[in-house]
Amino acid sequence: MTLVMVVDDDQDLAEMLGIVLTGAGIDVDLVSRGDEVMDIFRNNPPDLVLLDVMLPGLDGVEVCKLIRAESMVPIVMLSAKGDTQDIVAGLEAGADDYMVKPFKHPSELIARIRTRLRRTNADLKDSLTIGDLAIDVTAHEVKRGTKLIALTRLEFDLLVALAKEPGRVFTRDALLSEVWGYRHSTDTRLVNVHVQRLRSKVEHDPENPRIVTTIRGVGYKAGVTDES
Amino acid sequence: MRPQLSPLSQSLAAKVILSTLLLSLAVVWLTGSALYTQLSDGIKKVSLESSLADARSVFFSAQYQLLLVDGKEDIEIKAAVDEIISTSINTGTTEGAREIILLKVFTKGETAKNGRQPNYSFASNGLLSSTIPQDLREEITKGDDLAHRFAPLTYRAGVTIDALYVGQRVTIPASGNYEMYLVFTLANQGATLELVQNSLFLTGVVLILLIALITYLVVRQVVRPVREAARVASLFTNGDFAQRLRVESNDEIATLGTAFNEMAASIEAQIGRLENLSKVQQRFVSDVSHELRTPLTTLRMASDVIYAQRDEFDPVIARSAELLIAQIDRFEKLLQELLEVSRFDAEVAVLEPTDFELTALVRRCVADLGVNLEGTDSQISITSPEYPVHIRADFRRVERIMRNLISNALDHADGKPIEIECVETGTDVAISVRDHGAGMEEASLTRVFDRFWRADPSRARTRGGTGLGLSIALEDARLHNGELDAWGAVGDGANFVLTLPRIAGNQIVARPLPVNPHRSRK
Repeated sequence: MTLVMVVDDDQDLAEMLGIVLTGAGIDVDLVSRGDEVMDIFRNNPPDLVLLDVMLPGLDGVEVCKLIRAESMVPIVMLSAKGDTQDIVAGLEAGADDYMVKPFKHPSELIARIRTRLRRTNADLKDSLTIGDLAIDVTAHEVKRGTKLIALTRLEFDLLVALAKEPGRVFTRDALLSEVWGYRHSTDTRLVNVHVQRLRSKVEHDPENPRIVTTIRGVGYKAGVTDES
Repeated sequence: MRPQLSPLSQSLAAKVILSTLLLSLAVVWLTGSALYTQLSDGIKKVSLESSLADARSVFFSAQYQLLLVDGKEDIEIKAAVDEIISTSINTGTTEGAREIILLKVFTKGETAKNGRQPNYSFASNGLLSSTIPQDLREEITKGDDLAHRFAPLTYRAGVTIDALYVGQRVTIPASGNYEMYLVFTLANQGATLELVQNSLFLTGVVLILLIALITYLVVRQVVRPVREAARVASLFTNGDFAQRLRVESNDEIATLGTAFNEMAASIEAQIGRLENLSKVQQRFVSDVSHELRTPLTTLRMASDVIYAQRDEFDPVIARSAELLIAQIDRFEKLLQELLEVSRFDAEVAVLEPTDFELTALVRRCVADLGVNLEGTDSQISITSPEYPVHIRADFRRVERIMRNLISNALDHADGKPIEIECVETGTDVAISVRDHGAGMEEASLTRVFDRFWRADPSRARTRGGTGLGLSIALEDARLHNGELDAWGAVGDGANFVLTLPRIAGNQIVARPLPVNPHRSRK
């Protein structure tokens, strides 16, 4: 069964999250302090971490960095702070998703968690190319020539989403529903930050991107494959 | 910046220096003239006395020499006269040219032609006797005493210079009486006076320049602290409350500085207190809003779980679950708006502009809100350009403004039609939302954007607006450098016009839609 680690210092909210997730058939590991996360994480690695930002012991953003340093596990941040700088700080620390309390519907939370847990679809081709990169979908690997590029699962999913339809221009809303599982949201900050993170890893020159190109006023598109 | 005036009215220093210059110019002029008059009088007097003394000795020695040759041969007399003439011209203590004129005084009936006696008349440089003043000649012929006159001396060449004539009657033996004149030219004296005049003028000029310099230095000493005070005061006005004047002495300027600094400190303290108070309050609102979010999340999830199973409850509990969900929605909206208001108050609201298409946004807002239209007959019609209208603005905020305006219109339309019009120019866009409901009084227009204000307190809220929507919409519009205007008339509904620069942050150039719908468009 799937295991989600819920890190929140508010006992009632944690319990409620537990009830909702268990109801959806997901196992829950409750942690209430930021400085206890890493021990439990190493002992019993979860499939996803649901992380509050304001935590006793160690700040959520710091915890996020610690987890990211040793694991590609999906991280969804939960926070009462919804200002852009808070969201960007969380995403820059390596979070895949950022949900502002209170979220619209518990079903929205479940949907997003499921999207993050979903393995890249098996019905896809085994290998894709984007720019000068080769993507091995089954092995979950991205290579430039023989060099392996380490991506988080979200970054990988984002790259695959673009690569599997090379001609298509994805609006930010389309990427939100495709990669994050959002049904209706206008929070495109998430997309912008992750595209930037992805570019910093896969582009030769992130200032002048060739692999994930911006279509001004519309969205993003996979770069041309046959470039040298 | 201060307006550019003439330097004189702008600078105290220039004013003081100019008046000092004018006054000292007058003083130097007066003293200079007085000094010159005195000096020239003195020089003339000294020169006259020495000339007279000279002449006296010449005449005395002439008379003595002539006395020695009394009764001698004519040839000896002639030699004595020549001797007298040559010594008269060549000796003397006064420098400069000297002329001598010797004129025979003819007795009655005697002329130069018929005279038996030898005539020794002589004039150096061929001077004419006519150059001697007539009254002096008369005086000399009649009396024995020495006499003098100041008169111009005219040479044959026509040159005229000022000169002193000194004359006396002398008697040449075996010839008769002669008028003897010594003429002292005053060219030398003129040169001396000119020198004096020039030095006086030069001294005056130098003196005035020095006075100007001294005045400038003194004035600067006073003006500099005043300027410094003005500079610091203007920095203070611009909000730099840490600015203070340097107090280095014990004079009046220092008193001014100390007083200014005390005032500044007092203002700074007051403002600090007020700022702190307002910060504490904003912080409190923000903290409360944040603190409420976590329990609200729990509440929402719990109610959702209950609501999901309402079919299994009896109708009363099921309805309660519905009400619970609805009120949590409303509560959450209020909380969100309170937080937004606290952001505006704390001036931390940031514009996040992106490029997007406006008419699609308007249509989507109408479609979204149309879902909630059950229970009213409102018909929303949209007039907009057929082509896409791209603007650069904060999508979230523009959407929020539109939602607020449309739900406000739905609240007050009383089921009558609502018209939305979207117009663009090259520089600006405008959207009007017009309803034909009960409208409002003119007095209400100024308050319609106030927080928690209601046009009619007795009126029931059907849609559960928070009372913050229009106030937030106004702040959102202003953040774009845009405008949000309201118009209303009792019985004629209301009209709200949002005008935004096409690129957020630019100034609005044209207002394509008037706020009064009955007025024709520009």
